[in-house]
Amino acid sequence: MSQALTSGLKIGREMDPDLAMLTGEGAQQRVKQAEPDAGSIVPLWRQVSSRPAESPPDYYRLPLLKEPVWIWSVPAYFYLGGVAGGCAVLAAALPGKRRFDALASWCRLLACAGVTVGPALLTWDLGKMTRFLNMLRVFRPSSPMSVGSWSLAGTGMLATLSLLLGKKAPSSVRYGTAFGGVMVAGYTGVLLGNTANPLWLEKRRLLPPLFIASAIASTAGALELRPLNQHEEKVVQRFGMVGKVGEAAAMVAMERRTPTNKEAVYGVEKGRGGLLWNAAKVALVAGVVLDLIPAKSTARRKASGVLTTLGAICLRYALLETGKDAAREPQAVIGPQRRRMQGGG
Amino acid sequence: MTATGFFTDTSVCIGCKACEVACKQWNQLPADGNFFSGRSYDNTIHLEATTWRHVAFVERSLQLSGQITARPFSWLLMSDVCKHCERAGCLEACPTGAIVRTEFESVYVQPDVCNGCGYCVVCCPFGVINRREDDGRAWKCTLCYDRQKAGGEPACAKACPTDSITFGKLDELREIARKRLELLHSRGVHEAYLYGMTDDDQPGTEGLHAFFLLLDRPEAYNLPPKPTVPTKGVGASWGTMGVAAAGMVAAAVAAVRFVEGGKK
Ligand code: SF4
Ligand code: SF4
Repeated sequence: MSQALTSGLKIGREMDPDLAMLTGEGAQQRVKQAEPDAGSIVPLWRQVSSRPAESPPDYYRLPLLKEPVWIWSVPAYFYLGGVAGGCAVLAAALPGKRRFDALASWCRLLACAGVTVGPALLTWDLGKMTRFLNMLRVFRPSSPMSVGSWSLAGTGMLATLSLLLGKKAPSSVRYGTAFGGVMVAGYTGVLLGNTANPLWLEKRRLLPPLFIASAIASTAGALELRPLNQHEEKVVQRFGMVGKVGEAAAMVAMERRTPTNKEAVYGVEKGRGGLLWNAAKVALVAGVVLDLIPAKSTARRKASGVLTTLGAICLRYALLETGKDAAREPQAVIGPQRRRMQGGG
Repeated sequence: MTATGFFTDTSVCIGCKACEVACKQWNQLPADGNFFSGRSYDNTIHLEATTWRHVAFVERSLQLSGQITARPFSWLLMSDVCKHCERAGCLEACPTGAIVRTEFESVYVQPDVCNGCGYCVVCCPFGVINRREDDGRAWKCTLCYDRQKAGGEPACAKACPTDSITFGKLDELREIARKRLELLHSRGVHEAYLYGMTDDDQPGTEGLHAFFLLLDRPEAYNLPPKPTVPTKGVGASWGTMGVAAAGMVAAAVAAVRFVEGGKK
């Protein structure tokens, strides 16, 4: 009876007792995940491959946090704000000598343009475009966004004033613009660091210096594209070099894989953010290399300016994109918090 | 007014989603679209601008204590909601003052003030609040401010058939929660614990006005184990910004001076 069954019905996976082999249509099945080849001795402590390694718990790998909702215009604003800040400071530092007149007026123009076009871009991102003035409804020191909006509004007025008055602007206006400019260039770093985003939060002490250094570099990058006389060129290049070196140092420090949040960094390395980040690095280094070539040439200066500008823009988009990637990775939030708990922190 | 809030006891939740539906109905929130998540019975996936209550289904081949099943298998259910934090990241970040604390000490977004800057979205350590695509403003649970104003209880708590969601005065809720925890422990459910009830439980947010009784680690329910309001450490950023700003000024002055000096 059973003999008849086994030989007649070849379904499933059956053992043929005569041949001592598996027959039936299921007999050809292959294991999906083969046991890793460990030579002739299989150590007892090796995990059984059919049971996946115990991963730290999360909810179906779904994101724990919300991604930033900001669109392309926000990083563009970050860049313009940086240029405006750097120009405002440089304009205030330039002596009132005739040979610096052209540079000073460029600085005033760029500062004014940055703090007026910038808010326009910001408004573009607002869900409710008609409501930019709501930003000035309250002053909330706990919110870098509020501090920034007030700085932006104040600097906008002062920068316009110094553009209109030109050389005749009283020093209070010049220094006021410079102070506002520094705020506009730097608060964006505080703004990103003051979030629950695992990547930005992790780098909260590094982001403001990164933004400021990059603002200096972007300023020089933008000014290098203008016609400059010999003295102006020196000023711009010296100023820019400080920024570029600072930016590179801050980027290296950002990259140092701090063991407190390897999950966030892991997610970042692969995405679009990682690509932008690397592009920013390449452009920055190429710009510095061009600067270091001793030959004097306008083309070289302009090329360096273009590269620096590109690098600064890529950097800002990289920060937004990597932030989005990090927010999508639940373990980037859970991992560091768990470790902090275990560390008793 | 005294503070009110939610105590969500996940040990009695049956995953019926009455709270989700009641919330959507009362607050006239649109549907999230017809899509199949393929993840257990959870098709809303997370809290959203249009989903202010979300029932999580944690379906695993794991045995819970005191459970007898033929195979290791368990379900944990939890109705999630905005936590109405004592120190709320969204509120402290909002630049327009749209997010306020009501007389019931809940956290409320005033839709006529919000301009959709989206800063609250990245500042909530629980990933609750979000901006709506269609109207560009940030939305989240209001703790049924309108119903409370009229002396009622929130729609979700009203609809919950098992009283998994309890609404009430915060002090009373804490008492109920402690008693429930004791009972569960005495019955041998040793995993049970209260998540975020007080400042001691969750110093990062100084306690939640919507707290939970959970049966597994928070991350199994997609809750952060140790959330902190971002504002608590913002001083560090301003500090390094100050130093960097000084550096910027010094760089400008030096760049100019150096050239000047060399020229003379
Ligand atoms: S859970 Fe998030 S959205 Fe709700 S009050 Fe706290 S910070 Fe605000
Ligand atoms: S999106 Fe609205 S509620 Fe959120 S921080 Fe901006 S203004 Fe405030």
